[in-house]
Amino acid sequence: MTAPTQIDVRAPRFAATVTAVVLAVALLAGSGWIVAAQAAVFAVGAAAGLRRSPYGLLFRRVVAPRLGRVRETEPEAPPRFAQVVGLLFAVVGAAGYLLGAPVVGAVATGFALVAALLNAATGFCLGCELYLIARRALPARI
Amino acid sequence: MTTGNRLRRPRVGADVDRTGLVVLAAALLVTVAAGWWLRTRSGAVRATGEDAMAVTTVFERLGVRAGEADLTVVQFSTAFCGPCRATKARLTQLQATRPGLATVHVDAESHLDEVRELDVRRTPTLFYLDRTGAVVGRSSGAPRPAELVALVDAHVGAGTDGVS
Repeated sequence: MTAPTQIDVRAPRFAATVTAVVLAVALLAGSGWIVAAQAAVFAVGAAAGLRRSPYGLLFRRVVAPRLGRVRETEPEAPPRFAQVVGLLFAVVGAAGYLLGAPVVGAVATGFALVAALLNAATGFCLGCELYLIARRALPARI
Repeated sequence: MTTGNRLRRPRVGADVDRTGLVVLAAALLVTVAAGWWLRTRSGAVRATGEDAMAVTTVFERLGVRAGEADLTVVQFSTAFCGPCRATKARLTQLQATRPGLATVHVDAESHLDEVRELDVRRTPTLFYLDRTGAVVGRSSGAPRPAELVALVDAHVGAGTDGVS
């Protein structure tokens, strides 16, 4: 087994902060397109890795150089899995808004916002917590 | 504002979506409540209400030999768990100075039957077993450092060697 990809612990926190702001703006504007844009960001993070996601690039190019050197790293797998969970909620949110069910859109976006806010404020990864719960509920291997 | 066409809303902020505003407020409240819960409860050791005999057989299946140490900590982890790694490192660090402490690491994903039987919902979840195999406590989330050390020191050493 190769060593898991390590990332700066501050990167997911920064990404979660930007995500929370984007989702809050989407809710206030009632805009399915903003939620869809965030869904696209989640999709890139989940498929290509957090370092290649737009917020990850923004962190590395603009924010990290101003913060000083990397003090702590963490495996990428947990926050990357959380991107998949975020993507699911954002897709439901965007679809709700754009297909004429704004309450569904707002509530799904709200769930994604709670996860992003918790991550930004405390470092807690709600998406990661859902992994075992999902595995428990499913009878066999996926 | 009230006459605005809901289909075309060119200026963000000029007309705040009411449903969105309510959901945003609810999301903030839920986040504050969850943050408070995490601060006060997550990782705290609690007593277990489990049926002692049933639980003992589950741990035996996991290869836990509680009789070989004063305190055995069984940690359930998953691959997508940030605090699991730090918790494992913390336990290893404690073991270095406390020979009576044993640890068993269980990959939750490959032991889903045991995960269900023990009702493990989060990772890391830790079970604390004394030398008799009795579960003296369990905790979910990264354990609180001071509480962990106090619990370990209450069972390890202090002249309890060999007492069962």
